[in-house]
Amino acid sequence: MIDRRVTIAKIQQGIVIDHIPAGKANLIAQVLGLNAMARETGDIIAIGVNFDSPSMQKKDIIKVENLLFTRDMLNVVSLIAPNATIARINNGEVIEKHKVEIPASVGDIVTCPDRFCITNHEEVPGKFIVVERDPVTLRCHYCETEFFGPLIRYKEKT
Amino acid sequence: MDFKGKDIISINDLTREEIDAILHTVESVRKHPDKRRLCKDRVSAMLFFEPSTRTRTSFEVAMRNLGGQVSGFYDARITSAVKEESLWDTVKIHDGYGFDVMVIRHPLKGAARLAAEASTIPVINAGDGPNQHPTQTLLDLYSILETQGRLDGLTVAMVGDLAYGRTVHSLTEALLKYNNCNLMFISPRDLAMPGHLIDKCRKEGPQRGNTFEEGRRIEDYIAGVDVLYLTRIQKERLEARTALAEKFRSIYRLEAGMLKDAKPNMKVMHPLPRVDEIAPDVDHSPHAYYFQQARNGLFVRETLLALILGAVR
Repeated sequence: MIDRRVTIAKIQQGIVIDHIPAGKANLIAQVLGLNAMARETGDIIAIGVNFDSPSMQKKDIIKVENLLFTRDMLNVVSLIAPNATIARINNGEVIEKHKVEIPASVGDIVTCPDRFCITNHEEVPGKFIVVERDPVTLRCHYCETEFFGPLIRYKEKT
Repeated sequence: MDFKGKDIISINDLTREEIDAILHTVESVRKHPDKRRLCKDRVSAMLFFEPSTRTRTSFEVAMRNLGGQVSGFYDARITSAVKEESLWDTVKIHDGYGFDVMVIRHPLKGAARLAAEASTIPVINAGDGPNQHPTQTLLDLYSILETQGRLDGLTVAMVGDLAYGRTVHSLTEALLKYNNCNLMFISPRDLAMPGHLIDKCRKEGPQRGNTFEEGRRIEDYIAGVDVLYLTRIQKERLEARTALAEKFRSIYRLEAGMLKDAKPNMKVMHPLPRVDEIAPDVDHSPHAYYFQQARNGLFVRETLLALILGAVR
């Protein structure tokens, strides 16, 4: 029998985003702009996909060697992973643990699905109001279109 | 309530109290003894990125009636937009010319909201594509108030193209701010009220005692309604199915003979232009109100300009 156990090394300092639905970690990394951040700061990011989880069967996990993310910045994770938890780690110890919260509004991380919206024709940073939490439903600040589910498409951050 | 310097972008931004305040100011502006001096030396920028006849003319006349002036453009093809200048830049440039208020019409949704962010002076949305046209909604509400004496407890039927007609969408959202209204959505299945608005009626309606129902035949509803709001079935929306549009137009057509059982107070309204949906013989009926409704557009726009420019309170 092969021991399939694979772990991500513990981090001394940084943030662990846990309880991400399996397969969603890369999208979260994209939305948080982790690649760009890592290039800039030299921080290490570990993305674990399809780990066994007692509560979720399978889950993804992200560890970021950086403490600069605020709660607000991390709350956008809730749009993709409503039950994700955040642990802040300092000197190898968990100093804070909290669930992500669905924010009241969302910034320029989403594109408006309405092709007649001005934001799809001019360089305007998107703004969206969260009008419904379950399912998460957004309203474009500009064209007032409401949308949810697969119509919520995240911008590519490279 | 002070509207000085306020943007008017969407009916959804206004509370019932704000709408009432605007509507109740119309009469005093309309008959103001010093009307011609209310906005003397004030200038409105007119940024019309797509053609418009009624809205444009009524804004121009409204400003003139208040003693002010207008300046701008009425066709984006003759502006720097053809040189690919952004809306943001066009608004910024006009903002710098010292206008007092800006009226904007644009084919894209959300354009007026963006213009208001680019501008330091108040912006009035004169239509942003299929999204909002708040001065139309206000003149519709004013016409209903003027003829029925109230906006609560009315039965309002909306007929025709409810899928694409922005006037009926905004009117529905506005009436949901009032109490005990019965909304009847009468259209062919292909042109029914969009799902998100039906959901909104279902969700918000009961909070204020508002109800709604969907129907297919005008004849079934005429006797019970206070307002019959007709809309044009737009051929261009049905694309290849022009034969279907013709069929719908013949079914959703109002003729004078159909009004015999109407309540005495019942008024027929229409945002105009009409095509075939109201037969010319309806024009002579006491129920016809669409031309007065269009004229009310002038009074409502005068009022909004006077309020926003701080000439009245």
